[in-house]
This record gives sequence, structure tokens and C-alpha cells, in this order.
Amino acid sequence: MATKENRASASRASAGSRSSAVAEPEVEKTAPRKGGRETDGGYSPELLLGLYRTLVKCRLCDEKARILFRQSKFAGNFYSGVGQEATEVGAAYSLREDDWIAPSHRDWTANIIKGAPLKFCFAQLFAKSTSPDRGRSSPAHMGYPPLNVITPASTIAAQLNIGTGVAFGLKKLKRDSVVVSFFGDGATSFGGFHEALNFAGVHRLPIVYVCQNNLWAESVPLRLQTALKDLSDRAKAYGFPGVSVDGNEVLAVYEAATKAITRARVGEGPTFIECKTYRWYGHSEIDPAKYRSKEEVEAWRKKDPIPRFEKHLTERKVLTEELKNEITAQITAEINEAVDFADQSPYPEPEEATGFVWSS
Amino acid sequence: MARTLAFIEAINEALHQEMERDERVFVLGEDIGLSGGVFKATAGLYEKFGEDRVLDTPLAEGIIVAASVGASLVGWRPVPEIQFTDFVTDAIDAIIQQASKLHYRSAGGYTCPITVRICCGGGVGGGLYHSQENAAWFVHEPGLKVVMPSTPYDAKGLLLAAIRDPNPVLFFEHKKLYRTAKGEVPEDDYTVPIGPAAVRREGRDITVLVYGYMTHVALEAAEVMSKRGVEAEVVETRTLAPLDKQTILDSVRKTNKCLIVHEDKRTMGIGAELSAIVSEEAFEYLDGPIVRVTGPDIPAIPFSPPLEKFFLVNTEKVVAAMEKLAAY
Repeated sequence: MATKENRASASRASAGSRSSAVAEPEVEKTAPRKGGRETDGGYSPELLLGLYRTLVKCRLCDEKARILFRQSKFAGNFYSGVGQEATEVGAAYSLREDDWIAPSHRDWTANIIKGAPLKFCFAQLFAKSTSPDRGRSSPAHMGYPPLNVITPASTIAAQLNIGTGVAFGLKKLKRDSVVVSFFGDGATSFGGFHEALNFAGVHRLPIVYVCQNNLWAESVPLRLQTALKDLSDRAKAYGFPGVSVDGNEVLAVYEAATKAITRARVGEGPTFIECKTYRWYGHSEIDPAKYRSKEEVEAWRKKDPIPRFEKHLTERKVLTEELKNEITAQITAEINEAVDFADQSPYPEPEEATGFVWSS
Repeated sequence: MARTLAFIEAINEALHQEMERDERVFVLGEDIGLSGGVFKATAGLYEKFGEDRVLDTPLAEGIIVAASVGASLVGWRPVPEIQFTDFVTDAIDAIIQQASKLHYRSAGGYTCPITVRICCGGGVGGGLYHSQENAAWFVHEPGLKVVMPSTPYDAKGLLLAAIRDPNPVLFFEHKKLYRTAKGEVPEDDYTVPIGPAAVRREGRDITVLVYGYMTHVALEAAEVMSKRGVEAEVVETRTLAPLDKQTILDSVRKTNKCLIVHEDKRTMGIGAELSAIVSEEAFEYLDGPIVRVTGPDIPAIPFSPPLEKFFLVNTEKVVAAMEKLAAY
């Protein structure tokens, strides 16, 4: 869980680099590294542990959600992001309370990173009356209006257009808040993707486009999605920087994201970040994902972002086995409490279906 | 003080006045700034308010509306323009999946106060892709308000009401009215509430349910029939969503006959819903069948003058239907 302290220090760090002007649009490439990073940019132990805690929290929440779905504790479907946590945590961890997230269907945990109470997140899965949308959206389609997480639709890439609109509105307000929009590789094929990024480029909007390229759009492989090797190449067409990073390395994503967020905050416009990553499980819990080879899945599981980060933190003497166990125990207790809350919450009354059609 | 204004001038005045009154209001769309709009609905706004509030957009209806939806989430009151309703298809996701459902899917966490101005309608030689109406597509979506005025007075008053409404409103403007419909318009600020229908002509014999440009056609037909001893009551559903059922039913229960007139295609058109409402809720009052006069079920209004004429509803077609219904 991101504490207020390390959020503040992160935003101070961003504010400190205000003067770093970015000149012409460029496309950078950061080749995915094979091992851990040699340096971590001198990040404080508090920040590193904050990132670690949040990674673990997202992983444990997501795995718990999968178990609950299998136990028929909730119906519908669930779109697990296990394996991709570093993209979400790295991109959203440094956001301020007044910043926005435009999530997609696999970004349930974006709410958790932004600070939404866990009990509401699990109530969302359970479609209970205590969920932020009072049981309206499908389980993983969660938003949290008090912290500016937009409740997503299922139409792919739409959240990217609405997020772009929010960025447009924020710029017009002359505020320094920013938007982070999450989407997958499949969304980049959608016509609305082009309209949104083009508009953001024209107006240099304060938005960071975070593409979680997990190689598969449901069952469609990347080679049938695009002729590009690096999706960040698309940014060039819109006149702003694009960068491809190892999406399973939380500090690589964090570094790219904080740079992009700072750019956005100071009025230098959008950035496209391609996070190369992988989802461990099927598109959803009812998808056995037989279209992928076991070897491919195994190879990516070995790139699990959590042990990689643990290794780094242990080497830096920030994390001990004892602390690791303590963190896991704390989060597990918090999750159990949240699940109990969701379990005990009532379902909405049937006639509540007619509420909130109109605003007054 | 009221002056005589054309329909388009009333819209233009409403935009000028509301942008002066409320700094949250801005307009955006294709060709609306430097050129003042292809029909000049936004004339003079760019010169007065500048690019910050009068924005020429890329040629992309999807982002025109989506940018408006997003901006409305942080407090703006955007008024996007869709130059021709024929091009609204690119914005369908933004309107139907986002604007109409954001409030609902967030259980009131977000509201979306945008007013999408949409130019529509045939009879000006626009051909297949500059003549469509398509209001029926949106009336099917609870969460959207849909209005279509027929007079300059209502154009100004409904537009001001739409911009001040906390819900997404689609404001349809029939292009044939822009310069042909003239009428008294107060210079002052006023609104015409969204919802109530208007009884444009009282009569005891036949209720005519109508909206948009067809209101004028129905009124002409009513005058013809009056000379033949049949008095039609013309009820204009200037708000199409939500419909003013009470005024519709009150009129039908009085006249016992119901004629529905619209320019757009017939099948599953707005007339189908009006017909269902009347048959479900005033069946025992009817002395004859519910009759519809509408455009035919062909894909769109063809360009060649005789083909266009074939499509369009005119006074003669409405009079013929009134004669048929009066015989019951």
C-alpha cells in the first residue's frame, strides 16, 4: 500500500525535475533486460518498500479473487492481471490523489494502487450494495470516483478516449493533475485509439498512455494485431515520445512513468509507454488459454516481477525474509477482513436497478 | 424584448449568451471556429471567446464527443457539434456506451453534462449522407435526453435548458428550419423545459403526433382539413426522450384518433414507440387504427430530386392520411 509519505516524496521528486525540458518528439527504446537492474536511481528504502508492498498486495488480491470466483463466491467473470502487476504499480504508484486513472477490464487493482479501500474492491467483485457502483458493473469493471478512477466500460479502448477527454478538461482548468490510461495491445488496433492519441498530441494533453502489451488480445496473437515489433513506435505518428520498457521490472516502469507524469504535469504533453509483459492466466477465468504453449507460459513465469524485485531489495538490504513474511501476513489479514465485509454486505434491492439513470 | 429571428440565429444567440453567462461552457467541432460553422450556428463565437472556448477539432467525431464526455467529468459544460447526423456513427461509442451510461455505471459517482448539437434532416438536396435524421437510434438509450425543436423560440429556450441540464442531451436541429423558420425570440434569458410536449393547434377530431420540421407540415395539413370540417390537434413532441406521455394520451383520449407523422424511416422509428404508447394506454379510447405517415424503409434519402421527393413526407401525404382516419 502506498503511504501518504512516500506518495508525497514521489511527487516532490517529480516537482524537482520540472526543469528537464523535453525537446522534439522522440521514440526511445529500452531493451528488456535479462537480469535485475544494476542501479535503482537512488530511490529511498521507503519508496522501494512501498512499491514492493503494493506489488504484493495486487498479487495477493488478484489470486484471492481467482479463488473466490472458483468457490462461486461471485459470478460473472474475472480478468486476472497476475503477472502484469509491475505495469500497474510502476505506472500508478506515484500518482497524487487529484490525478486520474482510466482503467480497462484487467485493471481492477488500479483502484487498489490509487488507494481505494480493499473492502469496497471485494464488494465490487461480489456485486454487493456496498460496492462503489452498487452492483452495476461486471466484477472487474471497477472505478472509484472519490479517487478519480473512472468506472470502465467493456468497449475496448473507450477508456482511453474518455481519459483523453479528462486530460483535455484538466488542461483547460490549468491544473497540474494528470491522467494515466491503461490498455492492452489489442486496444491499439481500435480506431478510437488513433483519434484519442492524435487529439492528445495536438493539444499536448497531460496524459500517460500505458500499454500493457501481454502478447495476446484474448486469443489473438500480437502478430495478427500489428505489423510493429515495438508498439511505442506508434507514438511517433502523434508527435510525442514513446518508450518500450520491461513491464515485469517495476523500477523500469516506475522510472519511465514518473518521467512521463512529470512531463505531463509541467505541460509538455503525453507519453506512450509500452510495457512488455504477460498475463499468467487466460483472458478470463473461463478461458483455459489453450492457444498458448506451456513453454511460453513457463518462460514468462520465470520473469515474475515479484521475486525479481525481492532479489534486488534483498541485495540492497531493504528487505529481509522476516519483513517479507510480515508484509505478506499484514496484507493477507487485510484481504480476509475485506472479503468478510463483502461477504456480509447485502445485495442491492431489485428495484435499485432503476436508480441513477438520470442525474438531477 | 422579442425580435423576429431565424432558427439558426436563435441557436447562435443562445450559444453567445450562455458562453457569456457560464465560463464552463465551451464549443468544439469541425469548422465551428474560424469559419463559424458550415451553417453559421457558431458565427462570431471564435472572435468573441477565442480558441480556448471555441475549438476547431480534428476530423474525428469519436474524439469530439469523447473529449466532451471526459471534460464534463472535471466540471466543464461542453457543447460539441456534429456537423451532419450522418457522421454521428463514429461517435456512437462515446454517446451510447459512455455518455448515457457513465452516471448509471458509477451509481452517480460521475455525471456527464454535455449537449451534442446535431444537424439533421432532408429536403435540401443533401443526398444519402447529408439528409439523415437517426434520432430514433438514441431515443432507445435511457440516460440520454433527446430534443428536437421546430421554432426559433424553442430552439433558444431548449438549447439553454439542454446546456444547463446535468445529463447528456442530444440537440437535433433540422437543417431545413435554419433559415426558413422565423419567429419571435426574446432577447432575454429564458429556458423551455426539457420534457413537456407542445400543443401547437387545438382540435377535437384527430390527434397528430409530430416533431421537428414535420410540425410545420402537419400544421399546414391541419389547415387544409379545417376547411373540410375536420379539426386536427397537433401535438409536438419537441422532447423525444423522455417522452411526455401525459400530453399525448390526454389529446388522444379527447380526439379518439391518432395520426403519427415523422420524416425518418418507418420501421422501429419514433412513431413505432408513440403508437405502442397510445395502443397500450389509450386503446379503449380509439375509434380507428393508429396511422403513421413516415419516410419509407429505404436506406436513406436519395439525391435525385424525384427520388428525394418520393422519400419526403409532404402536406398532401398528411392530408390523405387525415382523410382516411377521419372516415372512421
